[in-house]
Amino acid sequence: MKFPYSMLLDYVSTELSAAEAGDLLTMSGFELEVLERLGDEWVLDVKVPSNRGDGLSVLGMAREVLAKEPSARPTELYEMAAKRFPMDDENDEGEVGCLTSVVIETEDCNRYACRLFRGVVDHPTPEWIAKRLELAGQRPISLLVDLTNYVMLELGQPLHAFDMDKLSGHRIVVRKAKKGETLTTLDGKEHELTEDQMMICDAEKPVAAAGIMGGLDTEVTGATQNMLLESAHFLNTSIRRTRKQLGLNTEASYRFERSVDPDGVMAALNRFAMLLTSVDGGASLVRGVIDVYPGKQAPRSIPLRMSRAVKLLGMPVSVDEAKLYLTRLGMNVDGDGEPFAVVPPTWRLDVEREDDLIEDIGRIHGYDRIPETLTQGSVPQGGVLGDYRRIDLMWEAALRCGFDQIISHSLRDKHPLDADCKRIGPRNPSSPDTALLRCSLLPCLADAARRNGGKDLHLFEIGRVFWAADEPKEGRRMAFLSTGSLHPEHWSKSNSPASDFFSLKGALLEVFQSIGVVPEFWPFDPSSGDARWHPTRCAVAKKHDLNLGVIGQIHPDIASPIGLADQTVLAEIDLDAALKVGASKLKYRPVSRNPAVRRDIAILIDKTKPYRLIEQTIEQAGGEVLERHWLFDVYEGSGIPEGSHSLAIALQLRKMGGNLTDEEANQVRDRVVAALESIGANRR
Amino acid sequence: MQSVEELEKQALGEIESAPSTATLRDLEIKYLGKQGLFTGLLRQIGQLSPEEKPTFGQKVNQAKARVQEAIHARQASLKLSERQAQFKKEAIDVTMPARPWRIGREHVLQLTANRIKEVLGGLGFEYFESPELELFKYNFEALNYPPDHPAMDEQDTFYIDDNYLLRTQCTAMQGRILETRKPPLRVFTVGRTFRNEAVDRTHGHTFHQVDCFMVDEGVSMAHLRGVLGQFARSMFGPDVKVRFRPDFFPFVEPGVDFAISCPFCGEENCPVCKGSGWIELGGAGLVHPNILENYGIDTDCYSGFAFGLGIERIPMMAYNVDDLRHFLENDLRFLEQFRP
Repeated sequence: MKFPYSMLLDYVSTELSAAEAGDLLTMSGFELEVLERLGDEWVLDVKVPSNRGDGLSVLGMAREVLAKEPSARPTELYEMAAKRFPMDDENDEGEVGCLTSVVIETEDCNRYACRLFRGVVDHPTPEWIAKRLELAGQRPISLLVDLTNYVMLELGQPLHAFDMDKLSGHRIVVRKAKKGETLTTLDGKEHELTEDQMMICDAEKPVAAAGIMGGLDTEVTGATQNMLLESAHFLNTSIRRTRKQLGLNTEASYRFERSVDPDGVMAALNRFAMLLTSVDGGASLVRGVIDVYPGKQAPRSIPLRMSRAVKLLGMPVSVDEAKLYLTRLGMNVDGDGEPFAVVPPTWRLDVEREDDLIEDIGRIHGYDRIPETLTQGSVPQGGVLGDYRRIDLMWEAALRCGFDQIISHSLRDKHPLDADCKRIGPRNPSSPDTALLRCSLLPCLADAARRNGGKDLHLFEIGRVFWAADEPKEGRRMAFLSTGSLHPEHWSKSNSPASDFFSLKGALLEVFQSIGVVPEFWPFDPSSGDARWHPTRCAVAKKHDLNLGVIGQIHPDIASPIGLADQTVLAEIDLDAALKVGASKLKYRPVSRNPAVRRDIAILIDKTKPYRLIEQTIEQAGGEVLERHWLFDVYEGSGIPEGSHSLAIALQLRKMGGNLTDEEANQVRDRVVAALESIGANRR
Repeated sequence: MQSVEELEKQALGEIESAPSTATLRDLEIKYLGKQGLFTGLLRQIGQLSPEEKPTFGQKVNQAKARVQEAIHARQASLKLSERQAQFKKEAIDVTMPARPWRIGREHVLQLTANRIKEVLGGLGFEYFESPELELFKYNFEALNYPPDHPAMDEQDTFYIDDNYLLRTQCTAMQGRILETRKPPLRVFTVGRTFRNEAVDRTHGHTFHQVDCFMVDEGVSMAHLRGVLGQFARSMFGPDVKVRFRPDFFPFVEPGVDFAISCPFCGEENCPVCKGSGWIELGGAGLVHPNILENYGIDTDCYSGFAFGLGIERIPMMAYNVDDLRHFLENDLRFLEQFRP
């Protein structure tokens, strides 16, 4: 809402500077966004909350200043406006009733009133009005149009001027459009109308989109002699729907959507008549008003308990103060008891219940007077608990493994690493690059890797992914990308290993184990059709038949086009699945004080035998004294038969409460080797 | 036969000129060992007269003690110089580059969220998450948005279909909590929100919010101000004050926007508060009684407060980050600048 300060001073007598008035409005809930000096005038631009349509007028701003600032006084013009610019002919149809008629055929119109003017001449708009309109950001057009705009700026009531002689049958019908009807609006656009759109019509056809924009054919021009001036009140949701459908957004529709004072209809007609007759002495006002008001609402009385007001505001406000504030805001206050009755004015449609009144009391009293009090009462357990904590643990484990966290956009474009699923995206995307919701975090990681040069990067992200099943779905994922050297290049020349499937597998195990889950890794099934992975270097992480995620090397056909090395490894965990797996119970095992004995074994075995089998065999055969075992060398090549490899495995043996003799240790080793031989291994 | 005095003199001389601790060890064996020269002297005691014997033994032992002492002294001094030589040889240039450890780094938004979780968790608020792909019902309807009201236009919404949208505000979590839990409630969330806005330095279509609410007996605006004050001081510094101004959000009544006194300035031309001394942070108010009543909560007994704010603002202000777009672009040169 932009207006010159001088217009406010028409209504309020005050010593406040424009800046001070702006601050006051800000602290009242109407934030001053811009204060500028244009020529010799200050112009304020304030943000009006969407529930306060009454603030979209100079009169509304004046009411707020008067309510908040006790030293400000209403002017004579304000007093007239408060009485709604009374005119002695406003209570009957007079001559107007003989010349035209108004019929309302839809419930979307609460009120329709009009006045007639004869013999209007296209005088120039008075300079002071044109200037004020320009300061308020409106372009002066012609006297009649400018006056409707000026009155709207002053009082908030949109008006529309019809050329009476162009109205078929000289009459007004407010109704829904009929199928096939069209309307060409003032901006020259033709609209095909639908049956739920409210139109102002003459005897035959729509002549204006009610509350939004007039029609081109019936607009007032320099040649207009007789004018019908409309002042009406329409249902806000109806206006909103139609203006969206027609793709129009006007000063009038903006106000109607946010609420206009239904009792201000007459005041606007009268104010217009006052202004026009003061400019155009020749224009004769036809006596009388047609005022059809089927939607008149009975005044609403709201009981207000001061005890509740004080309790909710958390600051002391006396009954007298509260009543004073409400009265200054135009409310009718009745009764002395608890509760007392408050009737809000017709322009305050936002005031529906007791707490709305309490807000008004609070903001006029001043929120700066509210003290800081700490909460009391029962305190539930706070913090990050349950599954949210488990996700935090996984996140911390990824950091400990040396992965850098990234956070990326969910709205994005297609990518070769997208999961194979039905995608969803906004119906109204802002650009093609952000038309889809991600279905996997891997594309985000790949983009981040590329942005950072694609080399020696170890990244992870936790976030949501989206896809369509019978309805749109959302899931939680954690994903990793690891490529290149695990440590940055350094002058000390110690070689840093490069990441590979197994380094990432190690990280993944740490991450799962942080929430007590020990997954198994099963070879990926290349016939699954998932072309993102290197078909023989990929695994599915599982627990109890639940798929927890995929880990593997990127498919070489995908890697180079997206700027990644062929050796890049990726993993994606389905957090929702992982969280379903209960944490395995931790059980303490006593620690032996006796020394450990190491025995190394070397076996030759077919490469197709999975290590999992070897591991199980070792553990079974090793028994209780086998504390730990690990693979420390893998060799194939010269001296090893084709299709086999040589594995060197360390066995760490230890007994509780006694030293293991050499002989005992050798026995365990031989047992293990024998067991391995039974699954096809040869001792080397 | 060599006299005790001569032997001692000879020993002390050799000790004095011993070039290394290794030589010194040899000297110790040569003079003081079981087969050493002093022991050799003692063996000659038989050739002495009975009167001379006791004093001779005494003399030898005293001389041995002095030699031993000289060896210790020489050893200490030799060790010192050997160490000095060693240290000189082992000298490093401490200004050479460190050998980097791979430490994973949190994203700056995560760091911010973590701090928020600590602070609100400490004030007794429990962390929750709710969907980003949200039902219209929870994003608007349950939050007391009147049907077809312009308040919804203020948040240009990405609609997926007639029921689903990308949540425009984390406040959408409230309905989901009120549906399943009864007061007393202290709950908060940190999450991602979406608005169909043109992207520039201070606007994005995707950003993050914290949203916090409490419902209990007798909760007032003063409690809201108290909790916000505590939150703001934990996040921004011990002297920060909170200011309320009236504002409208359909889900609160009274509704306010809240600002904090600028902790970064004191100057006229502060880049953060533009010299106004205040930084607007977010929206707040008492939970609208319509919402509580919709979920069967007796508003004569219970009331609640709620507040929300965008979290990108926090590092932007604290570190003078000039462009919102940095946060989701994942340039490590940007991200690695931030630490807990």
